[in-house]
Amino acid sequence: MPPVDAVDADAQLVARAQAGDQDAFAQLFRRHSDQVFRLALSILGRGFSAEAEEVAQEVFLKVHHALATFRGEAEIGSWIYRITFNQAVNLKARARYQRPHLDDTTLSHAASAEPGPHSLLEDAQRDRCLAECIQTLPEVYQSALRLYYWLGASVAEVAALLDVPENTAKSYLHRARQLLDGMLKQKGYSNV
Amino acid sequence: MSEMDPRQIEIDSLLRRSMADPVPRLSPDFHQDLSRELRRRSQPPHRFGRIVLSGYGAVSVVACIVVMRGQGLGWVPIAVITLGPLASLELVRRLRLAPLKLPFRR
Repeated sequence: MPPVDAVDADAQLVARAQAGDQDAFAQLFRRHSDQVFRLALSILGRGFSAEAEEVAQEVFLKVHHALATFRGEAEIGSWIYRITFNQAVNLKARARYQRPHLDDTTLSHAASAEPGPHSLLEDAQRDRCLAECIQTLPEVYQSALRLYYWLGASVAEVAALLDVPENTAKSYLHRARQLLDGMLKQKGYSNV
Repeated sequence: MSEMDPRQIEIDSLLRRSMADPVPRLSPDFHQDLSRELRRRSQPPHRFGRIVLSGYGAVSVVACIVVMRGQGLGWVPIAVITLGPLASLELVRRLRLAPLKLPFRR
């Protein structure tokens, strides 16, 4: 949960923005833009930061258009994150996202790593298998995993972004790991 | 995460290793681009577009009046048919722009 001061500040900004204060709206989107981008990225996955940025822009344009209808029944952050989640999931479904090809960065990482080529190849295969397994998880599990393990969000932040209680966010992560474990075993990766 | 069993700890460790990529950031121009796009979408329709649209409307009204007179309709029904929709459009536009100024609202 965001601190009370932050919620109050958001509420004041919303009231000013609803009265037509464009500076208040600019402040509001500056306060939430990083989180919106991270949430979109967590749904779209690695290699889609440009698309995540497009989602973020579209979300704020929608928020600007619909702010007059916002009644303050939920926190503005939760409202914005829900729009972001839906927008990103829709984009992903529409575009039938495929995993990006390994880029130069990945290849250069592989080339500069300490272990030998055989070990590197095995690691790369296992990572690719893991990434494929993650793609088959429900969207909220994928998002929770990427937010927590890749984007460095705490459990509390994951909960706030997915608009669920912290215990639910913890159970998403737990269940996602269980499912991945089962899938990796099925694919022959008993020892990870 | 203290309640994880050994297998979960292994998966946790694997996820940390395989997702250790750099975290992308919003581009520095994001806020500027967004402000520009907001301004663009908030602008009223272009003046030239309005003139063309008004001209098209006027020509259509004149053409309709000529056709209706040709069919033998009187001036009163023609006025109602022509001006009625225009009056309704204007009423709806005013309702949308200034809902609080209506006399029956408190």
